Amino acid sequence: MKRRLLLTALAATMLAGPAMAEEPFLIGIPVGLSGANSVVAPSVVQAAELAVDEINAKGGVLGRQLKVVVADDGSGAVGAQKAFDSLVFQKNVNAIISMETSAARNAGLPIVGKGKIPYIYTSFYEGHSCSPYLYVDAWVPQQQVPPVVDYLKAEGAKSYFLIGSDYAFGRGMLEFARKYIDKTGGKVVGEEYLPMDGTDWTPIISKLKSSGADALITSTAGGAPNVTLTKQLRSAGVTIPYANLAVDEGTAKSMGADAAGILISASYITGIDSTANKDFMAALKKKFGDKARTPNDLSVPEYEGVYLYAAALKKAGTTDTRPVLKALGEVSYKGPRGTITMSKQHHAPLTMYLGQVQKDGSVKVVKSFKDVDPGDQCPNL
Amino acid sequence: MSDTTLDSAGPARPGPLWRLGALAIAAAAMMILAPLFLDRFTVNVLTRSMIFAILAVTVDLLWGFTGILTFGQAAFFGAGAYATAMVLTHMGSGPGLMALGLLLSILVPVALAAAVGWLTFYPGSSDFYATVISLVVPIVVTQLIYSGGTWTGSSSGLVGYFGLDLSLGGFFRLAGLCLVAVVFAALVFVRSDAGRVLTAIRNNETRCAYLGINTQAVKIALTTVLAGVTGIAGFLYANASGVVAPENTGFVFGTQLVVWTALGGRGTIIGPALGAVAIDYLSAQLSGQLPFLWQLVVGLMFVVMIIFMPNGLAALVTGWRRVRKGPAAAAPALVPIARRARGPASDAPLLQIERLEKAYGSHKVLEDITLTVRPGELVSLVGPNGAGKTTLMRCMTDGQAASGGTVRVNGESITGLVPNRIVARGIGRKFQVASVFESLTVAECLRMARAAHERPSFTRRRDTLALPQPAIEILRLTGLDRQLGAEVSLLSHGQKQSLELAMVVALEPALILLDEPTAGLTKAERTTIGTVLQTLTSELGLAAILVEHDLDFVRDISSRIVVLHQGRLVLDGTVEEVVNDDIVKRIYSGGDHG
Amino acid sequence: MTLILDILTTAAILFVIATGLLTIFGVLKIINFAHGAWLTIGAYCAVAVGQLGWSPWLAFPVAFVVGAVLGGLTERFIVRPLYARPLDAILATWGLGIVVGQLITLGFGRDVQFTAPLLPGTADILGTSYSIYRLFALGAAIVIGLGFSWLMEGTRLGLSARAVIMNEALAHVLGLDTRRIRWVTFMIGCGLAGLAGVLLTPLTSVDPNMGLAWLVGSFMLVMVAGQSFAALALACLLLGGAQVLVSTFLSPILGGITVAVLAAIILRISPKGFSRV
Repeated sequence: MKRRLLLTALAATMLAGPAMAEEPFLIGIPVGLSGANSVVAPSVVQAAELAVDEINAKGGVLGRQLKVVVADDGSGAVGAQKAFDSLVFQKNVNAIISMETSAARNAGLPIVGKGKIPYIYTSFYEGHSCSPYLYVDAWVPQQQVPPVVDYLKAEGAKSYFLIGSDYAFGRGMLEFARKYIDKTGGKVVGEEYLPMDGTDWTPIISKLKSSGADALITSTAGGAPNVTLTKQLRSAGVTIPYANLAVDEGTAKSMGADAAGILISASYITGIDSTANKDFMAALKKKFGDKARTPNDLSVPEYEGVYLYAAALKKAGTTDTRPVLKALGEVSYKGPRGTITMSKQHHAPLTMYLGQVQKDGSVKVVKSFKDVDPGDQCPNL
Repeated sequence: MSDTTLDSAGPARPGPLWRLGALAIAAAAMMILAPLFLDRFTVNVLTRSMIFAILAVTVDLLWGFTGILTFGQAAFFGAGAYATAMVLTHMGSGPGLMALGLLLSILVPVALAAAVGWLTFYPGSSDFYATVISLVVPIVVTQLIYSGGTWTGSSSGLVGYFGLDLSLGGFFRLAGLCLVAVVFAALVFVRSDAGRVLTAIRNNETRCAYLGINTQAVKIALTTVLAGVTGIAGFLYANASGVVAPENTGFVFGTQLVVWTALGGRGTIIGPALGAVAIDYLSAQLSGQLPFLWQLVVGLMFVVMIIFMPNGLAALVTGWRRVRKGPAAAAPALVPIARRARGPASDAPLLQIERLEKAYGSHKVLEDITLTVRPGELVSLVGPNGAGKTTLMRCMTDGQAASGGTVRVNGESITGLVPNRIVARGIGRKFQVASVFESLTVAECLRMARAAHERPSFTRRRDTLALPQPAIEILRLTGLDRQLGAEVSLLSHGQKQSLELAMVVALEPALILLDEPTAGLTKAERTTIGTVLQTLTSELGLAAILVEHDLDFVRDISSRIVVLHQGRLVLDGTVEEVVNDDIVKRIYSGGDHG
Repeated sequence: MTLILDILTTAAILFVIATGLLTIFGVLKIINFAHGAWLTIGAYCAVAVGQLGWSPWLAFPVAFVVGAVLGGLTERFIVRPLYARPLDAILATWGLGIVVGQLITLGFGRDVQFTAPLLPGTADILGTSYSIYRLFALGAAIVIGLGFSWLMEGTRLGLSARAVIMNEALAHVLGLDTRRIRWVTFMIGCGLAGLAGVLLTPLTSVDPNMGLAWLVGSFMLVMVAGQSFAALALACLLLGGAQVLVSTFLSPILGGITVAVLAAIILRISPKGFSRV
């Protein structure tokens, strides 16, 4: 009986929620604090916290503050279900803004649909994930691959060898790369995949060496497989131009000399020479000091995602989901990566940077490509 | 005696089963009402936890009861979930397709499990091998899913299909009712006579085989049926969560199931179910704050539990219950059964061994053994330690043991046959060290001996125990008939020996092999066994071969004596002939050792 | 030529990784499910040695000692109470693997770690350029294999261990301290796993879960090999060779599960595997 009373009381407070104007907007961040994404997750959380602090310092949105609620998704679908359930139905967040694995995103989408709240996905992915509630402010293959291939072609590469991990992203990226290479007159002389937890790339590397390819493009799962492949490539003496579609600056650094010369293509590189980026990095350093994580292509979209959501709230002038969703496709924000608008079928045209890893592990911007179009990701939206 | 027993041998008493049913109905009612009182988050999390709890119950049946440590249930679960999701994604939804999904979610795991079972369980396969294979299966299945492209959604999984049209509460009720049903069915099963076979296999698989039970077939059947149950859980999961992903099939999930089962308390059914729900629910609550610490705590708890509390948290509860209940469970009443009518005896001798040979590499343990035994004979096999007596016994009951020569039973060669098939041909074997089932009761052990003759019930525990008259005789002579409800581990050494003999006799064998049946027994017990053996052979026409050191005992009861020395048969004659033979005297005085 | 070298070096790496497991399985008849965790410990010893600024070659002895000491503790407190319950020993060591993984994560973080390359570059073998480090791994496997033959055939410890393998009860009656032999064997097995972990660092990523990927393959090889090092070498050569051939001519994805699936089938057909070799 007592329990019943308590529940009734709880329900009453929940219903009374909107009436209390001083309640902050809650931004749910389901992210892989454990599992494969745990390497990058802390930087994502920091980026979100920084954006929220900055917005709150300027008076918040619609007279209310923003607040971050983090939940661990274990970098997988099962954990994501728990995290989304907890955020959407227990913490009653107003929006979800986060990077996740594709499986985790897919697991969360039905829950977001039931909860009817906006979801800004801030991770690059293989593309074609469509839902009225979903917006994406990170890149898809159509944006990332062409700069790489164009550059290699200009350097004189005619034949290409493709190596990837056997999963949706790895295959999706290389499939697009193969089509793009064919279209631009190049030739793919080999395309090989290893299981995600595979450890021995030797037979593939031997094939690569005997194929006589001019250039190598890889798209493995992030972290371990990427490092393993690169180490084995270098120890086998492979020196042809090597573009890695899955490496981030941090991983490149931990690989040391093995990473030198690798080409990477990203929408964010710490070396971007703009005031917005420099201000962002300084603010991060100021807020977190020694604990500040190096910003990256996953954390910066998170930072901008929070700003985009705030802008959408402001434009919609309400918390009702429909107007906010509509506004998300219209507002833009000028952040470290440039001006971002998620105007193309819930995806965003992005400026892409081609970088090359230096001997000391830093990444030098070789070339930039302005406002690359994401293509037709969701023609029905 | 038999009159009174027949009176109480009516339909099953309305005891535990009735109470269990009432509990199940109460639990089901709770499941139906619960969504009214819980918030959405709890409803959602518990829905999945309860589906996982179904899996934990299947793991418990395999591991806790039968002793098959498996990480593979995740693969069968994933296969079921993917079968459903793939039908709904690629063929569309609708009642017909939903039914197809359900059907496939059962059939696919069942087919997979049958193949895995065949691969895993064969005569002589080790427990380790089964466990390692159970690790390989989820890895292979996961790899297939990764390689499946758009068919399986690869690493992204499948999402966006239309599942059963139920509310959150509806799925909670469905999952809850399924869990209650599975737990109820499992509890009824493990308490039934057939369910005790699983425990018997875990206790002593060799003894099961030598009681004519095809343990490999039982294990394969169990694996297959439970894969079907697991597949239904997969169907539920695919519908309730609206997404399937490779990690649902992975071995990490498989190990998680084992961890939940271990922490909940293996061998209790309810313990693993509660353990799965509790830990999964807790991890949903806690892991957001301390992801790594939480896993560390679970890992540590797991190791500590395995070492110090192998029966998990449930042991705290059941241990208390056992004390209250007292040692002796309700015992069934003994009922004699008519002697099985045998077909017309063939002309061939009962047992015919020709030029039998057993060698380890170049070392010959048995050489050129030729021996014939006819019905009604009581043959004693004597010889010093290391003469090959026990090896010879083994060659008579295991068609894969001998390296050369033939053994015929009723004129048919047993070469290549596994023990349970040979037992079915009428040979019973009693081992040197009493081989019984430590955690069963006396009555249950005896029922195992009859399992090959009359199919044990899957739903209930019979009130009567039907045994051949000679077996009842042994029980009565040794006083075991008054201890039918006692657990075997509480019996004395001599009582275990007698029990094993009764079990072997209950098989109604035509030939009975006994390896030192009187070792360690008192004089009185020895006399009893001697009397029983003589009755069996001279009055009932069985044949017996007896390995024995006590020459006085041998002299008293044997109709023939065979002397084995250094792997060779040196003498085969009547009691008189052998006792007065010089060679035997020399062997036994120790002069001819080495 | 490249193919032959690929087969030989792949077999060598598999052999080095599985020896520690085989040592323990042979004498204790227990499968150490924490084997993967010990590979990881070994690799993190290499990381620590690098951070201390020592020569990367020092990582080998350090990892052996650290692995052996931790293995000694594990045997004493976790494995010893469970000899009578071998399946529980599997579970306890598996749980220990989880704990070790989490401790490493708490200590070093989840990130991929940097280790100095031991032998970079390639060498020319009959006209083909081939990774020096893989050739070094081949040499290491041969040294470990020969070293072990000597240990088992030529020393007192080896003799005692062989006695325990053949008939433990008898060995005990003969006055051998079987408890001590098991303890020492477990330590050596764990030390070897640590050593193998260091050997892997130039070939794979170093992260808290790195050992897991090698675990199932090693289990299968050891199951096939039984108790003999010669059989293990043969199993590595045949199954590792099959893996390379399948990867090269069919698909690397199939290659990834070749060892496990082939071993399962071999054991089904011939339950004793190669142990009679």
